[in-house]
Amino acid sequence: MPRKILHLDLDAFFCAVEEQRDPGLRGRPFAVGGRPEQRGVVSSCSYAARQFGVRSAMPTARALRLCPSLVVVPARHRAYSEASRQVMERLYQLTPLVEQISIDEAFMDVSDLPDDPEQLARRLQARIRDELDLPCSLGVAANKLAAKIANDVGKKAAQSSGPPYAITVIPPGTEAGFLAPLPAEMLWGVGPKTAARLADLGIRTIGDIAAWPAEDLIHRFGEHGRELALRAQAQDDRPIVTEHEIKSISQETTFARDIGSDKVVRDTLQALASKVSTRLRESNLAGVTIKIKIRWPDFTTLTRQVTLPHPTDQESVLIKTSLDLLEKVRHSGQAVRLIGVGVSGLGPPIRQLSLWDHDEEKSRLLQEAIDSLKEKYGEQVIQKGKQKS
Amino acid sequence: MKVTILQENLAHGLGIVSRAVSPRSTLPVLSNVLLATDEGRLRLSATNLELGITCWIGARIEEDGSTTVPSRTFSDLVNTLPGEQVKLSLDTSTQTLNVRCGSSNTDIKCIDAQEFPPLPVPEMDGIIQLNVVDFKEMIQQVAFAASTDEARPVLMGVLMTVEGDQLTMAAADGFRLSVRKATLSSPAAEPVSIVVPARALTELARVAGDGDEMVTMSIPKGRGQVIFRVKDIELVSQLIDGSFPDYNQIIPRSHKSRTLVSTAALLKACKQAEIFAREGSNVARLDIKAANGEMEPSELEISAQSEETGSNETIVEASVDGIGLLIAFNVKFMREMLEVVKSPNVALETTAPNAPGVIRPVGDEDFIHVIMPMHLG
Repeated sequence: MPRKILHLDLDAFFCAVEEQRDPGLRGRPFAVGGRPEQRGVVSSCSYAARQFGVRSAMPTARALRLCPSLVVVPARHRAYSEASRQVMERLYQLTPLVEQISIDEAFMDVSDLPDDPEQLARRLQARIRDELDLPCSLGVAANKLAAKIANDVGKKAAQSSGPPYAITVIPPGTEAGFLAPLPAEMLWGVGPKTAARLADLGIRTIGDIAAWPAEDLIHRFGEHGRELALRAQAQDDRPIVTEHEIKSISQETTFARDIGSDKVVRDTLQALASKVSTRLRESNLAGVTIKIKIRWPDFTTLTRQVTLPHPTDQESVLIKTSLDLLEKVRHSGQAVRLIGVGVSGLGPPIRQLSLWDHDEEKSRLLQEAIDSLKEKYGEQVIQKGKQKS
Repeated sequence: MKVTILQENLAHGLGIVSRAVSPRSTLPVLSNVLLATDEGRLRLSATNLELGITCWIGARIEEDGSTTVPSRTFSDLVNTLPGEQVKLSLDTSTQTLNVRCGSSNTDIKCIDAQEFPPLPVPEMDGIIQLNVVDFKEMIQQVAFAASTDEARPVLMGVLMTVEGDQLTMAAADGFRLSVRKATLSSPAAEPVSIVVPARALTELARVAGDGDEMVTMSIPKGRGQVIFRVKDIELVSQLIDGSFPDYNQIIPRSHKSRTLVSTAALLKACKQAEIFAREGSNVARLDIKAANGEMEPSELEISAQSEETGSNETIVEASVDGIGLLIAFNVKFMREMLEVVKSPNVALETTAPNAPGVIRPVGDEDFIHVIMPMHLG
């Protein structure tokens, strides 16, 4: 039995909320974002603004050059969170199997409902429009990957000056055919760097990847290549992850050969800690217990953990704490087979603000800026300088 | 040394000094209490090198002398003795203390008093005096806000400043600040600014008693120590080096909202919220609701929730002057602050969800408390 997965994405969400506040904005080119004189960027832009070429994450100053009549509205994140909460509430009324990926995006598993998934999607879209006055689009397919791509394709295809209100269905069994003509970049895990390497091989579409021998992709891209091959064939059996199921977030790596170099071990741990912190922030979580795992060449494995006074999702804290833990278990030059870092004791990223230590808030702002750059331009666009050891 | 002493007095004295004993020190003598005859009385002293407490008790001295006796052994024994005369006699050649009381006869192995670190003698000029009750109240209102994080030693202390006849105590752990002022009966000869470990002040408040006595404070020059004396008790503490943050800059000069509530009602609401908040990050939400019209009541809603245990909401009648606001605080900080407020009403001054909240007891200009909110993420 194929599963029935819905992917819901609110259309120009921040703008839709602003239009409720000021109906005069409807149909006009406007954007939610920071002011140009403060080097602000566009967080969300109306469909009318998109026709001028304005896009989210674009500097506001540039957006104004493209569209001089653009109205720039300051962001009101509390209003967006509240509207998002109301939308998610309606999803949960349909099924408890809801995986919220961001403020305006979620997956639902409706396999257990007797209804036709396309009808469910239509009813949900109408309900959110009628009750909350918010436009949304849905993708319907047998797995998360296909549902998400279906939705992306459906939204792009709608070329009106208003919200797309798209519903795009991939019937079970036709996923690979649906994906085949799409550009390779639309596949998860294909960033600009991978796309360039694929293009060198003459691979441009998802179908090209699917047709390429999987062993060769694994040979060239490692574990990532295996995932590419599976995904290009629209194979994705990942379940809907409701937040209650996340107990810890961790990353580990086994070295191709045992590593004795202090620098390599430390750099690897640092990179793993950085990945864990990114995943924490993506999931809107913070953890209080940080644990490292280390395996020596003789396969003995040990873990060391520390519980912080406050939960954290910050890269700098995770890196420093895991390096401190490493320091305690490994002497200089000692060879390592596997190393990993994990965070548990997860909860919402609530934090106690400090009376005078504003460095932490500054580093948090820096982290947010880096995250949004990475989200827009890919992982490789920016790196923090290596921590001095 | 030969001394006769009332069991009750001895037990009381040991109870006072034993808090300064360091039971797991690498220096064995620091696990002991010094017993020494001192001008017709028995002196008991204990120190962990940071904090030293001395107590003098009435005794009949037959022969002068001194030794140090293991604190735990001696205290446990004395607490079980009948309420009668206790005779202590020391065999100096073996450093064995014989303790006789009623039908009980005990020998305890001691360490020579020569090995005990010398405790400083207070200088009697340049002292500062304050009523015990006031001093204890100041400590109670300030010391709890000091940090327990050893990474920032200076924040584990209480800043004590004296300017003329004004004594101020301030403590801050980085998230909250507590400041209390008092007026001295006579002005100090010269200004003072020292950082005293919060633990030392808490111990002082514990041992100081409740009477009408005065606490005297002296700071011997160039020794990095402070000495407090109340009646028959003396407490010496090392001072903390380092500069205390300029807390005056932290206290907001203005606010957008002033919420007046009953101290007892808010404390009760916070205690209830804490039952649910303690499972998570200790966060409680305070929804300050300004009145919409003349007839509408304004109120303060305190709420907390936990995934595991449930949720709680309490509405406290309030008079809100200014804007409504939703702000989150560590409810433990709120509770600890409200527990030391003496006035029936408090004013909470707020500006924004990420700006410090200021708490002022109504009608008491001498106490001010600042709490930094929590960010809900």
